[in-house]
Amino acid sequence: MNFLTRKSIPRRTLLRGMGGALSLPLLDAMVPAARAAAGDPVKRLGFVFMPMGADMTRWTPRSEETLEELSPILDSLAPVRNKVTAFTNLELQPAYPGSHATSNSAFLSAARAKLTESTDYYLGTTVDQVAAKVIGQDTQLPSLELAMDLMQTVGQCDNGYACVYQNNLSWSSPTTPLPAEAHPRLVFEKMFGEGGSKAERSHALRRRSSLLDFVKDDMSRLRRELGPADRTRVDEYFDSVREVERRIQKAEESVAENPNPDLDRPVGVPAAYADHARLMFDLQVLAMQSDVTRVITFQIARETSNRTYPEIGVPDPHHPLSHHGNDPAKIERMSKINAFHVSLFAEYLEKLDATPDGEGSLLDHSLILYGSGIGNPNLHDHTNLPVLVAGGDSVGVRGNRHIRYEEATPLANLHLTLLDRAGVTVEKFGDSTGMLSL
Amino acid sequence: MIRFAVLLAPIGVFGEEGMVSKPWEDVIVNYCLECHDADIQKGDVNLERLLDSPFDEQVAGWVEVLQQVESRHMPPAGEERPDEATFTTTTDAIVAALDSFAAKHPNPGRTDPVRRLTRTEYQNAIRDLLGIDIDVTELLPADESSHGFDNITVGELSPALLERYLDAAQKISRMAVGTSQKQPDSRTVRIRPDITQEDHIEGLPLGTRGGALISHLFPRDGDYDVRIFLTRDRNENVEGLHRPHQIEILLDGDPQAILRVTPPENRSDHTKVDADLRTRIKVEAGQRDLGVTFREDYSSLEETLRQPYQSHFNYHRHPRLSPAIYQVTITGPYDSSSAGMSGSRRRVLPEVPGAGQDPKAVAAENLRLLMRRAWRRAITEEDLDRVLAFFEEGYAVEKNFDAGMELALSAILVSREFLFRVEPDPEGLAPGTPYELSDLELASRLSFFLWSSLPDEELITAAEAGELTDSAKRSSQVLRMLSDPRAKTLVTNFADQWLYLRNLETITPDGRLFPDFDDNLRQAFRRETEWHFERMMREDRSVLDLLRSEETLLNERLAKHYGIPHIYGPRYREVKLKAGEPRGGLLRHGSVLSLTSYATRTSPVIRGHWILENILGTPPPPPPPNVPTLDDARIDENLPIREKLALHREKAACASCHELIDPVGFALENFDAVGRWRTLDAGAPIDAGGSLPGGAEFEGVAGLEEGILSRPEFFVRTLTEKLLTYALGRGIEPYDDPAIRRIVRESAEEDYRFSKLVLGVTSSEPFLRRMTGSPSSSQPSSH
Repeated sequence: MNFLTRKSIPRRTLLRGMGGALSLPLLDAMVPAARAAAGDPVKRLGFVFMPMGADMTRWTPRSEETLEELSPILDSLAPVRNKVTAFTNLELQPAYPGSHATSNSAFLSAARAKLTESTDYYLGTTVDQVAAKVIGQDTQLPSLELAMDLMQTVGQCDNGYACVYQNNLSWSSPTTPLPAEAHPRLVFEKMFGEGGSKAERSHALRRRSSLLDFVKDDMSRLRRELGPADRTRVDEYFDSVREVERRIQKAEESVAENPNPDLDRPVGVPAAYADHARLMFDLQVLAMQSDVTRVITFQIARETSNRTYPEIGVPDPHHPLSHHGNDPAKIERMSKINAFHVSLFAEYLEKLDATPDGEGSLLDHSLILYGSGIGNPNLHDHTNLPVLVAGGDSVGVRGNRHIRYEEATPLANLHLTLLDRAGVTVEKFGDSTGMLSL
Repeated sequence: MIRFAVLLAPIGVFGEEGMVSKPWEDVIVNYCLECHDADIQKGDVNLERLLDSPFDEQVAGWVEVLQQVESRHMPPAGEERPDEATFTTTTDAIVAALDSFAAKHPNPGRTDPVRRLTRTEYQNAIRDLLGIDIDVTELLPADESSHGFDNITVGELSPALLERYLDAAQKISRMAVGTSQKQPDSRTVRIRPDITQEDHIEGLPLGTRGGALISHLFPRDGDYDVRIFLTRDRNENVEGLHRPHQIEILLDGDPQAILRVTPPENRSDHTKVDADLRTRIKVEAGQRDLGVTFREDYSSLEETLRQPYQSHFNYHRHPRLSPAIYQVTITGPYDSSSAGMSGSRRRVLPEVPGAGQDPKAVAAENLRLLMRRAWRRAITEEDLDRVLAFFEEGYAVEKNFDAGMELALSAILVSREFLFRVEPDPEGLAPGTPYELSDLELASRLSFFLWSSLPDEELITAAEAGELTDSAKRSSQVLRMLSDPRAKTLVTNFADQWLYLRNLETITPDGRLFPDFDDNLRQAFRRETEWHFERMMREDRSVLDLLRSEETLLNERLAKHYGIPHIYGPRYREVKLKAGEPRGGLLRHGSVLSLTSYATRTSPVIRGHWILENILGTPPPPPPPNVPTLDDARIDENLPIREKLALHREKAACASCHELIDPVGFALENFDAVGRWRTLDAGAPIDAGGSLPGGAEFEGVAGLEEGILSRPEFFVRTLTEKLLTYALGRGIEPYDDPAIRRIVRESAEEDYRFSKLVLGVTSSEPFLRRMTGSPSSSQPSSH
């Protein structure tokens, strides 16, 4: 299942594979995202949602301006701190009146959920989908929605809010939630079909391309059978055939270039949470690296999750722990869960940073938001949210910073800023009041 | 305005070719021109121009007039109207003129020359070609619907769809042949979250509860992993897990394994509860039913303090009492040394090369048979060579016969001869010329109409013998096909779309007001209506029986919902209805009544519109673009719906249509938003008084049905139009009017028996003939 454990092949290895005749500049031209002139937007956006807030005393970085001194929850970010920014005092007013459902639904929409438990739900288009409509149009999948829990509960979930608000992080319109997939195999197949070794993949593509030739030949015959009036229709079919041809060609190139020689389809859902989460993160790295999509959302766990984490010494379910009633023992155990989630995110950032992409790494050409829609979970509070942003070196986002706002600032301002950096211009998003300086 | 009318009256000209003859002119002048003269043109209808033009130039206009007058929509109730005899002579005269025009200028219409299979047709074609049941929704995108059906807008082929066709063909071919794989395949089936799993589920053994029966194609003999996840609540705890339960795995009804699930010791950590719910079973290749269900232990009916609901699927509203299956994953084969002999393999490779035989020659024999069925025609040597090239390509890699056949089958399944239905214009005909379709073209028209699938060997043979252009022989084929099990698609594909039953899947009544609604009820609704249509079809009853019935199909769940006592268990059975049980006819079905309601309340508007559209065939025009919306804020929320709508009709822009729509819907007010009988709404007695567009007033659903059945030709005409639309795959046009009228007239002689309608369609001008295209109209108009 761990099909990404193999180290990435440095670009030079490819040269050998191709007979060594190519010169380096030409190879660079092949790499899709060669770093362009300054001012070009960042290529991808990622959003990772963490449920039920955090203990902010253990979250907030100790350093006031930088991340030199991190915090008990954020310590695992040390290896990538130069590419991470932490925020203090961002808030999510549209999530009020406080609830778990709205914490999830407002996180990326900055919109108020209509209070209903029926099918007349109404929210807003989420930031990832606003981006997908622009930067997601050239890739196989405009966006990818992932989660960790196989859930599709229906009806009422929280204080009169329909379960859709709690299940779906991503909405392509105020009435269209996008269900997330948690099954690694189904995610994989969506991106790569059946995978296999390099030889198998190129063999499969060759078969596909000869079937397509057959279709093309069929279409020529059909065109001859029809009268002149009906031929325009068939000409449209030819356009489709050519487009699919182009996609197969692209896939063939990507098989040749892909530094992961074997794409073994994951079969099941790993039993251990951490293995499952790592696999879901690996799939995101793979998606970005293969340029299957440029917009990804991921619920690292769900609001009100009762998952236990015995592997890190927390046998208690998360949701009751988050309503800790200021019991220090409970707070400490909750913080362990927070730190565990962050450490999985940190591993993901390291992988992104270790994967070359044009000039720089995948991480440099991406902006990844990590955070929760709740600040202090004991109160269902939606102020002073735990929020991080990683990546963005290619657009001059400096890391190793701790940005503290004197006044509570809408999270939507950050969304607006991320969109802007991805080249997506919107005047206002949710309750935004302006851009942040990143 | 009368003044004008009098002035205009003498202008009608006698005897001139194509001009109006007298009988209707007086009537129109006297009763219609007050509103529809050249000055006022109410509703953009100018009858003065119609009267002044040659008849031949205004055929579409006269068809419209005829429909309005015939249905008594016009002149509107309340205005001065002619007596019944005048109505009849007027409409008869217009009909005669239209018929005579059609005889002089036959126009069978023009179906799209290139149409791809719909998703349903694809699924059925695969079933009939290979003997396997695929879930096509996993492979192909949904089709767009227009004119009420999804087989109309089927001309396009987007890159995404083409890719799906390539994927589907390869996947199906591999499964059908059972070629050996390096990696096992895996399929994940998720069960709808709003299914209550507290009771026995049909198709599973007695003594079991909940779960699912999954039809799965096991491609090879071998071992398969079955992995189960249980439904979790919003806190990710397994729902309803209060004591140990046993899960039984069955294959074609035979028990294979029993798995146990127990509540976690500390009651709170459910993380690992279902982690070990897996087993490995030995399966012989083929299409099999995998059953996954709980053993009933008869103590699971826990008493609750609250009113015991029928539905159990939501933690907050009506929690599950016992665990439920959420997802089943089948992975395999493991340890497979033999392809086995599945039904599909027998069809794809009836012959395998023996010692000394040329594999290519054997492949050619196999492929010839397959291609004839898939391509619906005789196969030439050139055809065969094109596909054999794929056999050779597949065979070349490892000298593997199966691999060659698999690739050849993929080619057959992506060929345009399989995926598309093509009716090219014959050479040498001028544009706009009607011509007869060939026997083979008719074979496909018949089979896709009656079976939504490929013609069978008998039909192709009949076509090759030239029998389908022979009226009597064609009719006997139609009757044979109607009695075949495959004709079931007229229920599941035609009736489902006609009656909007497909929308049932997406309707979800408000959980607070209707806590008893779950998917089990939804499926019971569907079963009742499908049974009702199928009975009419199989027993060849009058189609009017759709609106009247003394029996219906119930199980305990549906009977309880309807308040009919003494029906126990999940099994569906035909039940004779007693006096005072307001069920039976289509308009009394929970399906129709709930899919025409809002989530929180009934909608007389939607119900009225549904009846005008689907039963009476006189849909009101869509609201004009500038129509003011109903100002909810100014209307008291607590008013009964009838009074709210009355306020609505005070606006002139709304009234003209809603005066026709609303009173039809009012007649069904005794049924609530999920189809239960009621006599009170919000404490006030129900007023189920209604009226039909002709002006007839009546009380309740019985009155409505009586009103519809008193002029049965409207309902029959509507059904005929829907059947013809579905059969042709194009929208109905004014020039189809004479053909439709003829079908209705002829079926009236035999009490509107269903087979008469179907035979009428299959021997109609638009079904048997087609018009060549004109260069200017390269794109069909019906989009």
